[in-house]
Amino acid sequence: MSYIVPIGPYHPALEEPVHARLYTDGEEISDAKVFIGYNHRGIEKLCTQKNYIQTLVLVERVCGICSHSHAFSYAMALESIAKMEVPKRGQYIRVIIAELERLHSHYLWLGIALHIIGHDSLFMHTWDDREAIMDILEEITGNRVNYGMITVGGARRDISDETRKNTLEMLDKIEASMIRIKDMLLTDKTVALRTQGVGVLTTEDAIRIGAVGPHARASNLPVDVRIDAPYSSYDDFEFEKAVFPTCDVFARVVVRVLENFESIKIIRQALEMLPKGKINLGTKIPKIPEGEYMVRHEAPRGQLTYKVVSDGGEFNKRVSIHVPTFKNAPTVPTMLKGNSVADAGLIIASIDPCFSCMDR
Amino acid sequence: MQKYEKISITKEEVVPVALKMRADGVHLAMIHAFLDDDGTPDVSYEYDVGGGISSYTVRGEKVLPSISGIYDLGAEWPEREIMELMDITFEGCDTSERLFMPDNMLDGQGQILVTPMDELIKKVHGEEE
Repeated sequence: MSYIVPIGPYHPALEEPVHARLYTDGEEISDAKVFIGYNHRGIEKLCTQKNYIQTLVLVERVCGICSHSHAFSYAMALESIAKMEVPKRGQYIRVIIAELERLHSHYLWLGIALHIIGHDSLFMHTWDDREAIMDILEEITGNRVNYGMITVGGARRDISDETRKNTLEMLDKIEASMIRIKDMLLTDKTVALRTQGVGVLTTEDAIRIGAVGPHARASNLPVDVRIDAPYSSYDDFEFEKAVFPTCDVFARVVVRVLENFESIKIIRQALEMLPKGKINLGTKIPKIPEGEYMVRHEAPRGQLTYKVVSDGGEFNKRVSIHVPTFKNAPTVPTMLKGNSVADAGLIIASIDPCFSCMDR
Repeated sequence: MQKYEKISITKEEVVPVALKMRADGVHLAMIHAFLDDDGTPDVSYEYDVGGGISSYTVRGEKVLPSISGIYDLGAEWPEREIMELMDITFEGCDTSERLFMPDNMLDGQGQILVTPMDELIKKVHGEEE
């Protein structure tokens, strides 16, 4: 029997609204379509009516989970147009917050994925560890999300020696805990049965469709903007791309776990090598000349692109935002084909979708 | 600073450039578009070439050939989104269903990005009435 099964816009497995239409033959999915835009808030339109500081506040609210990534990218685009050189200490602080954000995002996703799989004890364990990261983010920035740490020309707040010490201690604790979680994930039968061989995206399909970020790396595609096109002193740090070859949901779990270890490495190096000096250029209201620039940032979900066009005036002429989910969501129909309806929620969730970001 | 270069091309060069980039294994980072104050369209194809972005830009053309046959969904989704938000058409791109905007919004066509805010509000209220 053939059915058309709608998933969303409202669904227990979905944190945000999206509509997926599954064409099934009994329990098996034969085809699927994805429709987006349910969270569209007209942010790009609003940007054309805001000045650069207002836009910094606005774009940070495109997404709660990767808020820093948006502000970071927008500021980088403006600094590139205006040829501003951010002080080293400011660059390092930006990287530290970006990697802490990556950690909390991956922990969030891991917990949700484990909850969908049905392994609630590991879900609670990961979210418990995530609280330690959120506490440090709150200590540094004053907030758990939407940090307000970016200004055009650098970082808005400095990191004190005491916060440095607390952050390093937190990293030691969660690293030890993550080793235990990794061992449990790699040996647990429930996780293996629910994720191995499920939602396969081959390397060829990942290249064909243009997947990015951990989703691409889980299909054995070694792309990472931090290494391929370094920015903000990322080339000062030693770390590796987390790549896994099995191309299934299990690979996406493993890649994000491995990335947690790499992020911890980067934050440790940044804190230990934190340069002395100013954190920003002291520019209160930036004057951006006529020009355009496109920047890329490795957000927690992958390549985030910001193209900013300035006409030399007070407002943005154009801010074009494209998020990693916009590149990864088109892979969902390919991954769903041949799988069972029961696995559809997990497969969609495995790309770590952020529809707020995508729809902006 | 990441590298970014802008290269102006014509409408006729869009497909040959895309074919060459695909053959060289170059990743299409994104397709961006905007309409200038006088309505002149500016469409850029952003290719990741050696870690930097080469932006192949076509200016002044409201109808362009689609490269979704070359870059698959990686080009189709940006093209469909642009068509739903601005008065720019990509010939050959599948528009049988809306991707981004609701089917009944703004008479089934886009241009949200260039409609003045007060006019946009009036149109939305008009639809609700």
